Amino acid sequence: MKDSCALGAEELWNPSSELPERVTRLRDEYVNIHEREFHNEIMPFTTGTEWDTMWSPALWGVVPDLLAFHKAFMESLPLFATRVELPAGFWDRPHVVRVATFFREVVSKHLPVQILDGELIVGGQYNVALSRAQNRAEAKAWGKKTDKWLEGIGLLNNHGMGNSGATPGHIIPDYPRALKMGLKGLAGYFKELRDKAADDGRKEFLSALIICCEGARELAERYAREAGRLADDCADPARKAELIEIARICRKVPWEPPETFHEALQALWFIHMLVMVQESYPGPGLSPGRIDQYLYPYYRDDIDSGRMTREQARELLDCWWIKPNYAYDFIWRVMRIRGVTSGYGQLITIGGHGPDGEDASNDLTWLILDVIEEMNLLEPKPNVRLHQKTPDDLMTRVAGMIASAQGSPFLLNFDEASEEALRWQGLPEDMIWDYAPVGCLENTLQGNDRSGTVDVNVNLAKAVELTLFNGTDQATGDRLGPKTGDPRKFKTWEEFRAAFEGQLLALLNRFIEFYDFSDSIRAGYEPTPYLSALVDGCAESGRDVTNAGPVHNFVTVEGVAFATAADSLTAVKKLVYEEGAVSMEELISAIEANYEGHEKLRQTLINKAPKYGNDDDYADGVARYLSRFWTEEVFKHHTPSGKRYRGGYLSWNYWIAYAPSTAATPDGRRRGTFLSNGLCPVAGTDRKGPTAVAASLGKLGLESAPNGDSHTISFNPSLLHGEERVEKLASYLRGYGEKGGTALQINVIDPETLREAQQNPKEYSNLLVRVTGYNAYFVMLGKEIQDEIIARETHEL
Amino acid sequence: MSSSEAPARAAGDAGTVFNIQRFSIEDGPGIRTTVFMKGCPLGCAWCHNPEGIEKKPQLMWFDVRCIAARDCLAACPRDALELTGGGMAIDRAACDACGKCAEACPAGALEVVGKEYAPDEVLDEVMRDEAFYRNSGGGLTVSGGEPCMQPRFVEELLRASREAGLHTALDTSGYSSGEVLERLVRHADMVLLDLKLMDESRHLELTGVELGPVLRSARLITRERKLLWVRTPVIPGCTDSESNILALASFIAGELSTVERWDLLAFNNTCGSKYRRLGLTWGLEGAPLMEKSKMESLAAAAGESGVKEIAWSGATRSETVPR
Repeated sequence: MKDSCALGAEELWNPSSELPERVTRLRDEYVNIHEREFHNEIMPFTTGTEWDTMWSPALWGVVPDLLAFHKAFMESLPLFATRVELPAGFWDRPHVVRVATFFREVVSKHLPVQILDGELIVGGQYNVALSRAQNRAEAKAWGKKTDKWLEGIGLLNNHGMGNSGATPGHIIPDYPRALKMGLKGLAGYFKELRDKAADDGRKEFLSALIICCEGARELAERYAREAGRLADDCADPARKAELIEIARICRKVPWEPPETFHEALQALWFIHMLVMVQESYPGPGLSPGRIDQYLYPYYRDDIDSGRMTREQARELLDCWWIKPNYAYDFIWRVMRIRGVTSGYGQLITIGGHGPDGEDASNDLTWLILDVIEEMNLLEPKPNVRLHQKTPDDLMTRVAGMIASAQGSPFLLNFDEASEEALRWQGLPEDMIWDYAPVGCLENTLQGNDRSGTVDVNVNLAKAVELTLFNGTDQATGDRLGPKTGDPRKFKTWEEFRAAFEGQLLALLNRFIEFYDFSDSIRAGYEPTPYLSALVDGCAESGRDVTNAGPVHNFVTVEGVAFATAADSLTAVKKLVYEEGAVSMEELISAIEANYEGHEKLRQTLINKAPKYGNDDDYADGVARYLSRFWTEEVFKHHTPSGKRYRGGYLSWNYWIAYAPSTAATPDGRRRGTFLSNGLCPVAGTDRKGPTAVAASLGKLGLESAPNGDSHTISFNPSLLHGEERVEKLASYLRGYGEKGGTALQINVIDPETLREAQQNPKEYSNLLVRVTGYNAYFVMLGKEIQDEIIARETHEL
Repeated sequence: MSSSEAPARAAGDAGTVFNIQRFSIEDGPGIRTTVFMKGCPLGCAWCHNPEGIEKKPQLMWFDVRCIAARDCLAACPRDALELTGGGMAIDRAACDACGKCAEACPAGALEVVGKEYAPDEVLDEVMRDEAFYRNSGGGLTVSGGEPCMQPRFVEELLRASREAGLHTALDTSGYSSGEVLERLVRHADMVLLDLKLMDESRHLELTGVELGPVLRSARLITRERKLLWVRTPVIPGCTDSESNILALASFIAGELSTVERWDLLAFNNTCGSKYRRLGLTWGLEGAPLMEKSKMESLAAAAGESGVKEIAWSGATRSETVPR
């Protein structure tokens, strides 16, 4: 094309050429995965019993793509697992102590210890599958429940109703406390609690936490020894000095509290990395929280005292930045065939305000922005908290990065609406200001809040299908919901709505019941004492993080296909019941035929009913009704362990995955066409531009969905070039926050470039795009997701 | 617009509008809503909003949306439609754009462009983005067509918008009587003025109107001490000579003291489909885009005007994203 808009691969957002030489080398080493000798691939460790297991299907329920593989993983992992020699008396101890002991044995003796050439922050191989350390009876009971669980998830998922699982990760541990006290301080505190504890169960649990802290110390000690060994053999005096310093630091942290920025970064990495080891989960959603806040005192002290220059701090951060990316080695052999797994979401948060409502950004915030830009990696995934008092220069800097960065890896969180929702949820006022998102955009408190984000994902559009077919699945005829009546006999919208509510409530209840079961499997058989040591409330309550130990415990139900469901209800209300332009009889026949031979009707549904996302009060009113109805309903429920259910909007890849298993919908969508994503309007239906979309979102009353709400807008890059446009984007973000959205991602990419990248993946290997809260390398996505991204409505003049 | 079907409350003030475009970032400072008034006395060869020329509402047919449902044919009370092998034949002499066909069409393939509004109906719509104006220093821009052709409506809209606290801009070709322009300018915080050509005969030839009134308007705006942004469409073979830009620059430097900014807008070739939907042919169909280097050199020439901010934008032949 003569007038092609495509950007050449060389114009894309590559890592900065200004990176220090060592960082470039380390980054290249990470990226060139096929040339590396070592991989952070899953390493199984076993107790050696014949019933041992290292894989828990219920923990992976929200990754339905794995359903076909669970048995294989369960059976094959033991075959190549490293057998860990167990200390005497192991099997006499309570389960949680066995888990802690096994963790300690692995990290202190078996986890590979390797220091890469030139790196300043160490600790690299952490993807493991640890034995659940169950005895025969526990394993038997666990196995029985797991079989039942597999049956349940299959039914839900295969019918497109949704999915659910007791998902690891997705939490912000109290890293600031661990840094402040050191693990030694934590262990000391646990000992005090143990001395005071009345019952044996609690004493044993606290012992388990202490054992885990000691394990972490021993791993660091192994790194200290390795650094010392390398230093002895090192001919280069500069590197030798660095290795000696690394050895000193690893001997100190994370056991002792760090005192310098370098020590704090190393301590943070060890502490964080070991959570992935403990949970045997490669990091999805395990989020460090507001690092520009709690690392700032270390940074400031070093800068003020002259111990460190800003450039040295940058290099340390660069080195730290590469570490979380090694989590992806987990799936490196199959990376290209999966969908959006290429974004795990070890989410860091910067910006935001302090307890007084004043802006809290600092020099470290700005330095981190530079690091994000120059490193150009998927992890750690950055989120910027924006609020009314975010300074103009920071707003412009963020807008500029988004505008120039061809899919820069940014999530934007809006404090006012996010906090209002956390208030609605009943969280304490003196903590809300310090909230941060986990994973993609899921708002939680820091350090004390297990909110089970993404644990339950319900396809709202399925409830529409079940209403139309009186509780049966249109494709199979299977009964999935109650008999709410044949809609052909309904005379009014109110009757239809009542039937819909009946189906949706039944669907929600079904998921709540199933989740209660999933949660009980994890709470009963898979404690994670190391993580429990890092989350406030566990030691105090004597309960594991998996068993409602933290101060705050929630389970998040994510609404999938929101706009598809809302537009479907709008079409029925307006065209069937208000205008009589469409008969229910014909609508149902058309949906049964997937609109084959009913194109005129389909076009009527598309064109004659208003759509959510256009600031149309009618369509937005129905959308609001839907959002409030289901989110207020789930908030009435608790798990038996005492976790409260709460709503949110994040549809990961389910809006694609459930497209074939969701019948055609009354908004004119055919079976197989993608459902709507997050809180986005149905693709192509928002025709009034980004301000109208923001207004529509703002009308939903999103405080009842306190998890936060995924919203993506695509801008054509030509719309955002130049300083003036960047300022306008910054103002748009301020307006967006005022309207009441909680979380926004902006894709700045033109379809021509994407098509070019699809054709020439090698040349565009650095092209980042955003998908449902994830940043992903475009060329690594599955073709259908690539096509969807290309087809997305791009706002342009 | 839920209110679009309602009749204008004060018929005398009603205006015919062909688009209310939110998130306009090209029509003045900040984020704005641009209200496009239907009807223009000019007939510029390069016009990229041909639906804004005719004052009366018009029927547009979108070939890509048509599913040949034929409901429109029966719905038309004047028998003005015929679906032929070559597409929808609209008898434009018979069609009065009543919109019955558009209502009947399930696929949205027929649309009446141009609707009557009362000023407060438009203001209600404009106010929906108030938060974005406030945060960006934006507001309302009234454009066209030519807003001066509907002075009562535009005057009232501008007045009421200002009263509601909005920043207002009038985007005009300048082809208007001084009396009308003065009335409108009074209610605008700034004016966006199109200056296209300084050669009188070329102006008449390519825009269909005399240059004189345009220059008089420019002077009037200056006399009124209104902040002015000048805009020049840069059209290959029409307005893109360096001598034209230098002549414009000289006029601006000599007579227009309130100009804060001068935008050179590179030829936009994406509007061919609009002409086809209206049953019109476009003389510049297939004409090439400007070259980036040419735009840059013209922008340099424009610097002779002494205007502190010279900007150029738009798609160019070599690439579409100016750096």
